[in-house]
Amino acid sequence: MTFQTMVGMLAQGFLTTLAIFFLTLVGSLLLGLLVSFGRMSHFTIVRTIIKVYISIMRGTPLMLQLMVVYFGPSLLLGITPPGNWRFAAVIVAFIINYAAYFGEIYRSGIEAIPAGQREAAQVLGYTRVQTFIKIILPQMIKRVLPPVTNEVITLVKDTSLASVIGTVEMFTRAKQIAVAPNSPGMMTFVVAAVFYYVFNYLVAFVMERIEKALDYYD
Amino acid sequence: MVLALVLSVTACGGSSTDTTSADGSEAQTELGKLVVGFDAEYPPFGFIAEDGSYDGFDLAMAQEVCKRLGWEYEAVAIDWNSKDTELSSGNINCIWNGFTCTGREDEYTWSEPYVDNRIVAVVRADSGITSLDQLAGKTVMAQAASSAVDALNDNAKLKDSLGSVVELADYNMGFMELQQGTVDAVAADLGVATFQTMNKEGDYVILEEPISMEQYAVGFKKGDTELRDAVNDVLLEMAKDGTMMEIAQNYVDDGLVLESLCLIEK
Repeated sequence: MTFQTMVGMLAQGFLTTLAIFFLTLVGSLLLGLLVSFGRMSHFTIVRTIIKVYISIMRGTPLMLQLMVVYFGPSLLLGITPPGNWRFAAVIVAFIINYAAYFGEIYRSGIEAIPAGQREAAQVLGYTRVQTFIKIILPQMIKRVLPPVTNEVITLVKDTSLASVIGTVEMFTRAKQIAVAPNSPGMMTFVVAAVFYYVFNYLVAFVMERIEKALDYYD
Repeated sequence: MVLALVLSVTACGGSSTDTTSADGSEAQTELGKLVVGFDAEYPPFGFIAEDGSYDGFDLAMAQEVCKRLGWEYEAVAIDWNSKDTELSSGNINCIWNGFTCTGREDEYTWSEPYVDNRIVAVVRADSGITSLDQLAGKTVMAQAASSAVDALNDNAKLKDSLGSVVELADYNMGFMELQQGTVDAVAADLGVATFQTMNKEGDYVILEEPISMEQYAVGFKKGDTELRDAVNDVLLEMAKDGTMMEIAQNYVDDGLVLESLCLIEK
């Protein structure tokens, strides 16, 4: 197997990695918002449910969650999963896991806004929704960007966990290539590391640009 | 067909692994599609080819079976640790990948065994180890959830003499450990051991004395006799008409040992 063939096959696997990454990112960044609202809800029941959810998501390994989401419906509940459930299960498990973390990050950002701003908005006649969208949210986004960047970079690397339920993303592909007949062996892992690093470098770069762009008061 | 069955059973040392269960009806899957669960890090039985497709002796046979039955064929690279869960949840309907039936007779519904396998110990040539006795106090690697682990557990005398057994997810990691000296031996199937030590003559030695003798067969969900029977009939037919040997020839360079094919009359 030539070096080019190996890189090409890794690149193919990287497409799956990217699919997991982007779908999870979109899903969990949005779901995280709902989680943070639920966590701060005035209704004790909602708040408690979300607290338990966050506690479970943070308190158990993502690898285990992947297995429960993938095998649970058929083996625990007796439901026959649809044909493409393997990949869907990966996305579902990643989204509900990351949403828990994003929810807490958002909460920290929202609660960091002084209560005086809320009161001032109320005096000026803003509704609660208006206050949130026009006053709280823009400031919250600025504040949570550094911890969100942390999570996003972790997500890129966590995609390799999908292999536990037989999803062939780049790391699994690298392991397969490394053992194939006439393969470049260990070099495969070095190239895989370069793929991850370069992509994470880009993620960090983009996030830094966003931070700068939002830094309009300084 | 009866004759072929009898012949093949004799050829494989008289061990029949027919495990038809009483509650068979529940586990029947619909015919018409074979979803093969396999480990893509297990040459020569299952591995990735240069064009990115999955290849291997077992997969080539599965493909031929599907071709003859006019069935749809799908190969799913599973995590070997999860093979039972994959099978019982119906995500795959057979495990065909150098899958040992010996000792697991009651856990699956099996095809006829088609390979006589040995679990062997591979050591570094410079270690000076030449027999299993000399593994006393040493660290031995085996793939997690593999028959090599079972073989070690069954061989109490050997296992008690070992320093420790390291279980890893795949054999490639084991051979990397052997190369760098963090394990002293790898307990693996003959085919895998042959593949890993090929073109590295002088570096590794496969010990003559086997840790255990066993056989490979295609494993189906317990009670899935209808699917098993369909596949098994074609498998026996392929052994008889020479197709199995023809397919096998393509994988000799990848470590397949032709003498181990026990369904083929010699």
